[in-house]
Amino acid sequence: MFKTIQFGLESLGEAVLFFFHLMGLSFTGQVNGGQIFDQIWKVFLESLPTTMLAGFFVGGIMTVQFSMQIEAFGAMSYLGGLATSATFREVGPLLIAFLLSGKIGAFTAAELGTMKVTEQIDAIRCLGSDPLIEVIVPRFIGIIVASLFLLVFGLGLSVTGGMLMAYFFANINPDEYIRHISSIVTISSIFSGLFKCLTFSFVIAGICTYMGYSTTGGARGVGLSVIRTAVLSMVSIVVTDWLTSFLFNSVLQSMGKL
Amino acid sequence: MASPIIELDQVTVRFGESPLLEDVNLQLEEGQCLVLLGPSGEGKTTLLKLMAGLQIPTKGRVLIHGINPEESSRKERKKLFLEMGMLFQKNALFDSMSVLENVLFPMREISDLTESEQHRLASELLEAVELDHVKALFPHEISGGMQKRLGIARALSLKPRIVLYDDPTAGLDPITSKRIAKLIKDLSKKENVSTVIITNDMMRAFQLADNIVFVWNKQVDMIGSPEVAKSSQKEPFRSFLRGENRA
Repeated sequence: MFKTIQFGLESLGEAVLFFFHLMGLSFTGQVNGGQIFDQIWKVFLESLPTTMLAGFFVGGIMTVQFSMQIEAFGAMSYLGGLATSATFREVGPLLIAFLLSGKIGAFTAAELGTMKVTEQIDAIRCLGSDPLIEVIVPRFIGIIVASLFLLVFGLGLSVTGGMLMAYFFANINPDEYIRHISSIVTISSIFSGLFKCLTFSFVIAGICTYMGYSTTGGARGVGLSVIRTAVLSMVSIVVTDWLTSFLFNSVLQSMGKL
Repeated sequence: MASPIIELDQVTVRFGESPLLEDVNLQLEEGQCLVLLGPSGEGKTTLLKLMAGLQIPTKGRVLIHGINPEESSRKERKKLFLEMGMLFQKNALFDSMSVLENVLFPMREISDLTESEQHRLASELLEAVELDHVKALFPHEISGGMQKRLGIARALSLKPRIVLYDDPTAGLDPITSKRIAKLIKDLSKKENVSTVIITNDMMRAFQLADNIVFVWNKQVDMIGSPEVAKSSQKEPFRSFLRGENRA
């Protein structure tokens, strides 16, 4: 038991050090800009259809749920504002980040893990290059930037999804749906959503690159890294969500805006 | 006598409590070919990785040109290891790159050559290993023997002074195996490259070696020229050569 806790804490320490090391390397200017751009483009394009689909339906789900609740109060004109606010602040970033952690996170962990166990990482080192600079940091930055764009894009689409669902299932026309969005969705809720998107991007990028790079033990090791990436990313996203919500509420309360 | 290019001085490597190598002393002279023999799991690959700087000793020192890379600056260390090329046991080819790109990769990253010079050099290397006709293919699209030859071409792309080969003829048919052994020998003699080879192919071992190193029980058990090794009655080396279980 003690050994398991010790091992867990050591791994956590290693992961944190690895994360800060990557952050440091990201600003040294040693990483090839073309490689970073390639990664951003690749991750963005590969995940765009699923993110669009997820974003659309997250908005749709929230609208359907809210319409069932507020119909009894005769407040259907507030449906757009309420559904959009809830999607932006909480559900949208969370669900889309889950999806991205499964797609981008698992793919990257498997790719890096395979490179590690087939000694491609050692080969890069042997050829005089730093694998962190050549392979890891471009993916790390690429995932952060692409995930951020994807999350924001997904949130944008959630409004469209909500609007269409409202039109077809609650008979609310788009003008009415949009009318109260600006009064309910405040700058702080948009900022809260964007901030969450940013932190989730860091979480996904940090965990999958660390898990992939620390893979050992052949095909089984790669499989374990992928599972660990998926589980750890989702747990970390939920914990980070709670933490950012808590921090945001505390900040807004102290500013008297809540 | 000239100082060795690589020297392992009382090197021990441990993984947790279990030793991978214990108190190993070994030297590689300029232009020399060392062949490492021994049963699986006795530490041959660990020895090679120590030389390549991919493994850090738990105890002892690895000196390259008399310099301990661990005590050197990052720049010096990089310079020292750039003198080495390594062929990995499973080739470690970059599977997302074509045959040509695999050979170009180190040149693009390290050398100051222009793009046309890089392409010319890469083509020459691929021609030397008879792979120029498949340069647009990816590693998974070529045969095992071709992958080995590509690994060799990539290991030689920065014109290293030391080349480390981890089982270059493993899993190959006798004809391809002979061809690769000839390629290694020709390249070593032509450029006066120092070589360390791990192999379990006894015929190739005695054909290529200036010195045979027998690794047994996590230690260097015997070193000698092929003639000395052949006539050695020392156990467990003798049993190992005969393929008996005692070794």
